[in-house]
Amino acid sequence: MANRFIFVFAVILAAVYIYATEQFPVLEISDPLGPKAFPRLLGIGMLITAGALLAEMLRAPKAGTAGKGQKASGEFHHYYVVGAVAIWTGLYLTVFEWLGYAIATSIYLLAMMAYFHRDKWAANLLTSVLYSFVSYWMFAKLLDVPLTRCILPF
Amino acid sequence: METLTHILNGFTVCLQPINLWYTFIGVFLGTVIGVLPGIGPAAGIALLIPVTFGMNPTSALIMMAGLYYGARYGGSTTSILIRTPGEASSVMTSIDGYEMALKGRAGAALAVSAIGSFIAGTVGVVGLTLFALPLAKMALKFGPAEYFTLMLFAMTAVASLSGRSVAKGMLSMILGLMISTVGIDLQSGQSRYTMGILEFQDGVGFIVVMVGLFAVAEVFRGIESLSMGTAPPMIRISGKLWLTREEWKRSLAPIFRGGIIGFVIGVLPGAGGTVASILSYSMEKRLSKHPEEFGKGAIEGVAGPESANNSDTAGAMVPLLTLGVPGGGATAVMLGAFIMYGIQPGPMLFQNRPDVVWGLVDSMYIGNIMLLILNLPLIGLFVRMLYIPRSMLYPLILAISAIGIYAINASMLDLCLMLFFGIVGYVFDKLDIPVAPLVLSLVLGGIMEQSFRQAMTLSEGDLVIFVSSGITVTLVVLSAISIAMPLILPRIKALKAASAEDED
Repeated sequence: MANRFIFVFAVILAAVYIYATEQFPVLEISDPLGPKAFPRLLGIGMLITAGALLAEMLRAPKAGTAGKGQKASGEFHHYYVVGAVAIWTGLYLTVFEWLGYAIATSIYLLAMMAYFHRDKWAANLLTSVLYSFVSYWMFAKLLDVPLTRCILPF
Repeated sequence: METLTHILNGFTVCLQPINLWYTFIGVFLGTVIGVLPGIGPAAGIALLIPVTFGMNPTSALIMMAGLYYGARYGGSTTSILIRTPGEASSVMTSIDGYEMALKGRAGAALAVSAIGSFIAGTVGVVGLTLFALPLAKMALKFGPAEYFTLMLFAMTAVASLSGRSVAKGMLSMILGLMISTVGIDLQSGQSRYTMGILEFQDGVGFIVVMVGLFAVAEVFRGIESLSMGTAPPMIRISGKLWLTREEWKRSLAPIFRGGIIGFVIGVLPGAGGTVASILSYSMEKRLSKHPEEFGKGAIEGVAGPESANNSDTAGAMVPLLTLGVPGGGATAVMLGAFIMYGIQPGPMLFQNRPDVVWGLVDSMYIGNIMLLILNLPLIGLFVRMLYIPRSMLYPLILAISAIGIYAINASMLDLCLMLFFGIVGYVFDKLDIPVAPLVLSLVLGGIMEQSFRQAMTLSEGDLVIFVSSGITVTLVVLSAISIAMPLILPRIKALKAASAEDED
């Protein structure tokens, strides 16, 4: 199943990439090959790779049905957890500039630790807030890294 | 004589107090990164780049190199104490190292890995010192066609060796090359695949991709194992941090053999420390008078692989410095760092910036001594870091990654791309697609395209230029072999097994 997905992905990607390459305007001033030549090779290379994947899929022994059944009824909880962390991280990055680094990071870390490091409220709160503000001070003030401060007065 | 002069000049650079300080910071951070899960040397170097923007390039590169080989030292600690390699290349160390720890010889296992790493690391740096200059002189004969075929070989070797499927390795490689074509084409000024997004005109930043693929994806994997409750128990250090006379006797030869294997494998693109340590382990098992002890706590099983995976780092610097072609993920990030500082690794670097090259090479001698000190008397301090709950560590790593990426351009798009590539890295892992070919081709893609177009311009569009010299023919043949071998070898093995069965 996974290999089929990769095969379809490779074919679609190659098609889209070749189509986008052909949309480049032909320029008068350029080297003889122009900006299309190398990408064309890559598009063809991706199609050949898709062919190689197909060949590997056909050659590979078919998986037994028992294994499939086992997997279908298996535990998917950890995928949901990873998905939720990805979404929460996405939200954190979205408000990164708006809320300011230190506040956004404190909230982000506190929520993450509340879930993964349960029942240790004092340690979680202290770590999230201290880490966010100390790292803000270290990077923004000592190393001149441009971090947003938002409503913070410093 | 010429090499000796360069070495002495290199020491005048690396022994400057500021460079000694950055060597120390590099190896210290490397050890920390090696011990902690979540950030490997590639992501560590990538995250360090924004912090070093205002620094002298030599000092910055010395620090990054220190982090690179320091992480290999640190990787063995987790292998021995919790049977979880901090680095993929320490996977062989975990077999006998953990068994030694279970028998109350954790101190000896840590000591042999530190001493072996020091000796073999120094053997590797001696190899780098001896071979760098002759190879750089040979590389001066390289034209665009030679460079193109060399990069093709490096990429195909990495693509075919880094995973179980050649096709998936190739997919990863071409994907990296495709990403490298995003942005303004330097020769024609044509904007390519930018989708109307202004920030894409400069291309997709390789640091963003590295941090996403290596750090964020690793955190996702860690969170997965955390929620599955598969974290292994930790064994506390027991026994003296030193070896008995018998252990010394059994370890010395494997250390030197591992050092040589690691260096040779490191020079070759694609193979890397993991292959070097596997080769060393199987060699020691074959040569040992007690092969039955392997897997049950044989000290040779720690000494050999750990030495090989450290010496490999010096070997990997040979093609990076002399040809400008990295052989794996971490050296690809190093190449990116060189380019970011306006320094192009390759044969001309030895003529134009000998202070950088030899300062860097010599700093590796000093760094190895510092690592020996950090990893023997001070190992207890680093081990304490293993007590940090992973449930707290992983969120902190994500926050550090966000600072590192935002520090580059203060760009929200970069942050989103980091998360995107983190998800890509996690999905790639699930689908068994290696990420090393993507990283390597992303860094080399731009130079590869320029070499291709320059060669084609020189030959007036004739592809024969890529098979017109002995060097290009050899490299094209090697590229073809590197793709064909993983396909042919299993068939040969199957045929042999079938004929053996028939004979029975």
